[in-house]
Amino acid sequence: MRYFLRRVGYFLLTLWAAVTLNFLIPRLQPGDPAEMMVKKLAGKDAELDPAKIAAMRAMLGAPEGTMFDQYVAYLRQLLSGNLGVSYNYFPTPVTDVIAKALPWTLILVGVTLLISFAVGTVLGALAAWRRNSLFDSIVTIGSTFIGTLQAFWIALLLLFAFGYILGWFPTSGGYDATTPGFNLPFIGDALYHSVLPAAVLLLLGPIGWVLGMRNTMIMNLGEDYIRLAKAKGVPDSQVALRYAARNALLPSITGLAMALGGILGGQLLIENIFDYPGLGRIMGQAATGKDYPLLQALLLFTITATLIANLIADLLYGVLDPRARKASA
Amino acid sequence: MAAPLLEVKNLTVRYSPKLHAPLNAVEDVSFAIAPGEFVGLIGESGSGKSTLANAILRLTERPGKIAAGQILFDGLDITTMSQDALRPYRWRDISTVFQSSMNALNPVTHVEDQFRDAIELHSKLRGDQVVDRIKELFDLVMIDHRFITAYPHELSGGMKQRVNLALALANDPKFVLLDEPTTGLDVVVQRSILENVRRLQREQGFAVLFISHDIGTVLDMSDRILIMYAGRIVEEHDTRDLLRDPLHPYSKGLLGSYADPRAETVRITYVPGRPPDLSREHQGCLFAPRCPEKIERCLTVEPQPLAIAASDGATGAGQATEAIDTGRPRVACHVAHLQREAPDTPGLPAPTKRFLGPEFVKSVDETAAAVTNEVFLEVKDVYKTFRTRRGFRVESNEVITGVSFELRRGMVTALVGQSGSGKSTIARMITGVDRPTSGEIVFHSKGGPLNVGRLGVGQLTRYRKFVQMVFQDPYSSLNPNKTLHYILSRPLKNHRRMSGEALRKEIDNLLERVALTPPGRYRGRYGYELSGGQRQRVVIARALAAEPELIIADEPISSLDVSIRAEILELLHRLVQDSDVGILYITHDLLSARMLADEVIVLNDGRIVERGEALDVIRDPEDEYTRRLLEAIPNPFADMPA
Repeated sequence: MRYFLRRVGYFLLTLWAAVTLNFLIPRLQPGDPAEMMVKKLAGKDAELDPAKIAAMRAMLGAPEGTMFDQYVAYLRQLLSGNLGVSYNYFPTPVTDVIAKALPWTLILVGVTLLISFAVGTVLGALAAWRRNSLFDSIVTIGSTFIGTLQAFWIALLLLFAFGYILGWFPTSGGYDATTPGFNLPFIGDALYHSVLPAAVLLLLGPIGWVLGMRNTMIMNLGEDYIRLAKAKGVPDSQVALRYAARNALLPSITGLAMALGGILGGQLLIENIFDYPGLGRIMGQAATGKDYPLLQALLLFTITATLIANLIADLLYGVLDPRARKASA
Repeated sequence: MAAPLLEVKNLTVRYSPKLHAPLNAVEDVSFAIAPGEFVGLIGESGSGKSTLANAILRLTERPGKIAAGQILFDGLDITTMSQDALRPYRWRDISTVFQSSMNALNPVTHVEDQFRDAIELHSKLRGDQVVDRIKELFDLVMIDHRFITAYPHELSGGMKQRVNLALALANDPKFVLLDEPTTGLDVVVQRSILENVRRLQREQGFAVLFISHDIGTVLDMSDRILIMYAGRIVEEHDTRDLLRDPLHPYSKGLLGSYADPRAETVRITYVPGRPPDLSREHQGCLFAPRCPEKIERCLTVEPQPLAIAASDGATGAGQATEAIDTGRPRVACHVAHLQREAPDTPGLPAPTKRFLGPEFVKSVDETAAAVTNEVFLEVKDVYKTFRTRRGFRVESNEVITGVSFELRRGMVTALVGQSGSGKSTIARMITGVDRPTSGEIVFHSKGGPLNVGRLGVGQLTRYRKFVQMVFQDPYSSLNPNKTLHYILSRPLKNHRRMSGEALRKEIDNLLERVALTPPGRYRGRYGYELSGGQRQRVVIARALAAEPELIIADEPISSLDVSIRAEILELLHRLVQDSDVGILYITHDLLSARMLADEVIVLNDGRIVERGEALDVIRDPEDEYTRRLLEAIPNPFADMPA
């Protein structure tokens, strides 16, 4: 029990630090969003009218007062769930912007991650069990080779081949002429649009899991308890599953929990290449458009998600590995 | 002998690694074990004993392969049986306890589960019946039932090993293979586990093959002994007869590394040189390069392990190949055979029971002289408390409680204790790595007294010139990628500001002092090219380079093979004789303490429980703990006439 309380304590502490950093970092960056906004409205070469900028500031609700006042106001707003209004999508609240993009990313990245994890771990375990076999060579060499390719490059290649030349799949967007909602035509349409981005993620996703699982499992296979299990006459399938894979899975589970936290960051490159309406694309736009409230909210989102994922990983580890409970209890 | 339970016939196990030359780690090995028999197998590192163990269990892994021969278990040829066909016999008939087994239990499941699969796979017991059986087994090894639901990491080392033993007996096997079952455990724990094994073996009647490099325990436990060298069995002998009349010179060498520590003058022998590289071509007897009794024939013809003819001469050597069952000793040595069967052969050395190689002698007279030498290090009422922070709480743990002693020039003081007794902490405080919590350590260097616990960083660097360490494991304390020249030049440059020709000369001088001669042959070599004993010599030379006044030797021989341990002891001994350097010899082994040290300090739980001249402590221990330590030392010679 102490182990779990301890983990939760650490979690709260880190979360506070993250929230504070999230407040500070954008304010340390150069550039004034109000000026940007005026420029955007008035055209690049127009004279900047100080009055217009002041008006713009007031409208955006740009920060006022000392840093400390701002910090207090920021925390208060956070607690009430008010994260501000997006500059780019003015006057939509950032929470709405995020809420709209969230499902897209969640489904695309989440599902491909889970599939990648499952496929990668199984392939890795099999490769380790049949070490130095043809299967192992194909899996290991194949993974290493594909792993050297860049995601955006594969994405462009797929886009070019299947989107433009063959025309089998749409080249951008999340859906076409259907009405978003829980209806069959829309779901079909959305799936159809996600085939190419998902293909890229599924091609690259399992690699880390394959290599990680294979290496840990090979190390585990050399342990005495594996030799003992064989000497006990435990059937191979059980030695592989209950002894070797069970132990080798531990680091992978932590990795998975952390990767789940990373989902909310979206897939910046992939989503932008396919113009996919997820969080990654929004984040890219927010960064280039100096959309502070949106950027801040997105950062906060990803950080919180990562921390929660870390917490889950820690707690899970405590359940899966009895040694962890004792060591840091 | 009755029909054998396990019969190994001409077994050869070959390793064919991709990057190295292939070698036969086990070659043409034959022996048999009868039901209920307790057989010991002695071999040093690289002798092939673990390879043999794996082959018997049919757990040989690539690149290893059973290349020739047969393994019969209960009349059944298991040499080439498929793993599936073999599975029903595993753990029902043959079980095993692995080397010190820290890792033999699956760390993520309860102890109960690991018994459960072993029992359910091979019996009809299910559910609570299995738990009842586990309770019975825990009773056998005297472990509380509450540990049935524990995880392996919640057990101490000794308990783990008992649990492993209980696990091995789960299905009343006919044969248990013990592969270094107590290596790495404290002597007292080791003793109690081995007594347990022997008692259970008598009660339950299973046969045992007990494999170890620890000659003392093997001799103590076994009815019959197999001695392995370079992948071959060189001698097979009843334990009592082996002690009385060892046949193979290597066996004599091994036995010679043991002696009665109670004697006024202790003599132990060592086998110079190193085991052969089996991946190279060889001719003749593999032990010949290290053998003091070799004759010409040994260099050309490889001796076979043949039975010694009975004293009435009824059987000649030639007919003896089938002699596994005759109960007569076997030996693979031309000299041993000729001495018994054709004593008139010209050039044959006279029969001997001792190893004729180099010898290390320690007598009481030396001690008498040493204890009056000048004191140069005083440890005065030292306490050491470690604090560990856990969240907001601080836990303190007193590891050294009021320890006082002094060290003298030109004298060896042994600090004896089990792991956790605090002996390494004391060493760390003397070297200045740790500081005492209270009390002081004063070093009287030739330049005046130094309070070791108060030295600043710069002073400490200078202090280290006076105090040097020799570590336990010469494999990890030498950088394998540097030449000996480089390794030895570092302390010479740092502590003695030497360079150029003077440096080179001093390096040669150091190599000569540790008997790595001629120095020209060793200067340019790398650490990894040397044997364990040679490496430890380099480590000692490195310690000497700074011209220290004190050398702290922390278990310097415990990771070395038994047959060469005395070699390092002798070297340390000679250093003390030739210069006035003092040695603090840290060990868990009272026996080696007696051989090297003039004075013995016994440490238990951070306190000094006994202190005195080495021989007095050994002969007449006053403290209960010292007595237990002494009793735990295997003494195969106990009932032998002196």
